[in-house]
Amino acid sequence: MRKTCSMWLFPFFLLLFTSSLSAHVGSPDVFYEGAAGPYRLMVTIRPPLVIPGVAEIEVVSASSELRELQITPLHLSGPGAQFAPTPDRLQKSSDASASFTGSLWLMEQGAWQVRIQAEGPRGQGELSVPVPAVAQQSLRMQKFLAVGLFILMLFLSVGAVSVVGASLREGQLEPGVAPGTFQIRRARLMMAATAVLLFASLFLARGWWNSIAQNYERRLYKLPQLSATLEPQGRLTLRLPDPGLWKGLQITGNPLIPDHNHLMHLFLVRLPELERFWHLHPEQMESAVFSQDLPAIPAGRYQIFADVVHRSGFPETMVTEIDLPYVPGKPLSGDDSAGVGRPLSQADRTANSSELFCGGRMVWERDSLSLKSRHASWFRFRVEDQAGRPVDDLEPYMGMAGHAVFLKTDRSVFAHVHPSGTPPMAMLALTERGATSQPDPHARHGKGVPAFGTVVSFPYGFPQPGEYRIFVQIKRVGRVQTGVFDVEVGL
Amino acid sequence: MVDTTAVSIDRLLGTKTRPAAEVRVVPWYIWCGVIAVSSSIIGGYWDISWHRSIGRDTFWTPAHVAIYLCGLLAGISSAYLILSVSLGKRHAAKESCVKVWGFHGPLGSFMSAWGGIAMLTSAPFDNWWHSAYGLDVEIVSPPHVLLIGGILAVQLGVLILILGCMNRTEGVSASRLSALFLYVGAMMVLLLQLLIMEYTWRGLLHSARAYRVISLAIPVVLIGVARAAKRRWATTIVTAIYTFFLLGQLWILPLFPAEPKLGPVYQKVTHLIPWDFPLLLLVPAVALDLLAPRVASWAAWTQAILFGSVFLITLVAVEWPVADFMMTPAARNWFFGAHYLEYNFHPSWKPYEFFRIERTPSDFWSGMAVALACAILSTRLGLAWSEWMQRVRR
Repeated sequence: MRKTCSMWLFPFFLLLFTSSLSAHVGSPDVFYEGAAGPYRLMVTIRPPLVIPGVAEIEVVSASSELRELQITPLHLSGPGAQFAPTPDRLQKSSDASASFTGSLWLMEQGAWQVRIQAEGPRGQGELSVPVPAVAQQSLRMQKFLAVGLFILMLFLSVGAVSVVGASLREGQLEPGVAPGTFQIRRARLMMAATAVLLFASLFLARGWWNSIAQNYERRLYKLPQLSATLEPQGRLTLRLPDPGLWKGLQITGNPLIPDHNHLMHLFLVRLPELERFWHLHPEQMESAVFSQDLPAIPAGRYQIFADVVHRSGFPETMVTEIDLPYVPGKPLSGDDSAGVGRPLSQADRTANSSELFCGGRMVWERDSLSLKSRHASWFRFRVEDQAGRPVDDLEPYMGMAGHAVFLKTDRSVFAHVHPSGTPPMAMLALTERGATSQPDPHARHGKGVPAFGTVVSFPYGFPQPGEYRIFVQIKRVGRVQTGVFDVEVGL
Repeated sequence: MVDTTAVSIDRLLGTKTRPAAEVRVVPWYIWCGVIAVSSSIIGGYWDISWHRSIGRDTFWTPAHVAIYLCGLLAGISSAYLILSVSLGKRHAAKESCVKVWGFHGPLGSFMSAWGGIAMLTSAPFDNWWHSAYGLDVEIVSPPHVLLIGGILAVQLGVLILILGCMNRTEGVSASRLSALFLYVGAMMVLLLQLLIMEYTWRGLLHSARAYRVISLAIPVVLIGVARAAKRRWATTIVTAIYTFFLLGQLWILPLFPAEPKLGPVYQKVTHLIPWDFPLLLLVPAVALDLLAPRVASWAAWTQAILFGSVFLITLVAVEWPVADFMMTPAARNWFFGAHYLEYNFHPSWKPYEFFRIERTPSDFWSGMAVALACAILSTRLGLAWSEWMQRVRR
């Protein structure tokens, strides 16, 4: 029984691997803080693993006066961004907190936006949150369901053969007439033929199902792999992968659009200790080739994460690893920056401060030492001078109060987060301007950020438990400085 | 002649005592079957409209309830009939039935019960399918084929239940049963139309593929049911019911307001979007009914060649220019409904242009040759099926 079951069903229930997610790596959930008219909202969107599928939405309001929230899914750009379906109402939590939850269908892969309409005593407001949606995995059938369906399949098959036999044995006889040898033999023959036919049909159905599963697997989003080579004079050349099927879907492969005035944000992290960190901005040489003059870099193996945003609004993080010799390099220029932290082997996961290289320190205002995965929260960092006084002279770094990178130490999770949240600024620009106009690379800069003060904060939630390193970049006295923190995240 | 099955079973159930030839009431289990197949077809087309207009659904939408009501009603009524006969002590009732796994019942009730179980099996399968591969946007998927196979089995079972009575009954009762038989046959054609609708959309009606699919699916039922009914104009009646049903959904569904609940929305929709204007199967049906009495004595294969050819030629002759007409502004009104576009009809698609499936004339004509072969083969199967059905007694 078990063997037969697996023969028919197991090939269909293959668990397809999932390791890749667009815009960040292994961190599919969207966290965003913004204003819907007079109401400040913290939005968490958890996209589905299969597309079409249901995304879960949670919205927390800064005040409890908010009466109603409605959500609508639209494409981020193109004709699908023009007409909105009927909005869904979010359910307000029964307790006193201003928390709302709900869900909505995302029917296609690509770049979406969830439009949130708020209503309260201070009037109405609207906020759009970009959401990249990709099919990430197919599902294994639960054992009890597989066994149940297999039993039903056997029952239906045997039943069909028996009914065919009955129809030929007795179905054409007048009432009261017993079947003769001819009818019995004919029925047996046709029952055998039906059994063969059923077996052949099920065999063909198995092939059909396999074919559908394989087609679905081909459409699963795979983490794009960069090709990185070191040219003479310490120049790093990066070649983007062929988008293949995804180009046809008009999701990737189309021209890139700038995010903070840069087509690519490159993050270089030294392995295995993650103690050196660079945030660089390579130049586009050809449509799929980027190049960067490296700064001074010690020899070693490096992990590369490269953030880009396609014209469709769909963001991607491309990855690769590279072995580099010592590179004397060129001084950092423009928006390029670097950071240094403790080697991972010496990490202190209870420490809440990080020394900054120009003096002073960055303090993580943690509410608690224990952090849980899949829980949205604010990560607040205060900058102090050498005397321990909070500073209020933070400058915009690429238009923002700060940039944060959340990196799981096994590198299965990478997220580049801004004070407004996880969506790239170029996506946010499309929600405001639509597809017909040029996106503003600095869209909503400062909108999600209070006036630059002493604290820079980021909304985020760790997607899975484990050990993480957080790189927080701010700009002060004309220089970008990086605080490095370590944390252990529980279930 | 006496309707022994109906009488025996009805006696057992305590509802009738008179011979069927005198009985003017159709047995309750046949009505249950007729209601079940009607429910599935209404639910099926309603569900298609729901997906074209509103998009999002759950298991408990009215359309889904109507579909699964078919399985439930057919399954329960058949099971009751089978258990009543099997557990009853009336020997005569058992002698009027077939025997499967020790249970006695009319042949049609076993088929309907099988169909009902298949339909109900498809529900958790379809639910899992959505979870694994996403909400389906295609009609033809393995769980849907199981569902449609289940409905077909219920329909076949009801046909056989009616036949079991009809083949042993005369007079008014036989005439009523014959009308119900043709009605269920029309429901079967509507179900097959639903299965092949992705291939027979108006934009595809200048392709050989559409005619190949129609020729394969439709004649077997049309010919089979019409011949087994042994009634003049039977094919015409079946296709008239088919046409009436599809015109009904075309004219009635848009009267109900509806708005998309899924994105992306490419077309503004304010009411339920029905399926297209029906295929003009009525024309080949009339031709077949005119021919049938003249060639009744011909060999089966000769009849199949003639009927299959006539079916395809008359269908193409009428459908080709009508498809041309459906692309014109004159067809964009409530009567023809060519202006109804589902909410997710992409602006780059062209609703009033034909899709060229075959790239060369040679591909087209070879496709049409295959369509002719399909029509002949399907007709021959229909003839064989009708011969078998005419001999059904239990």
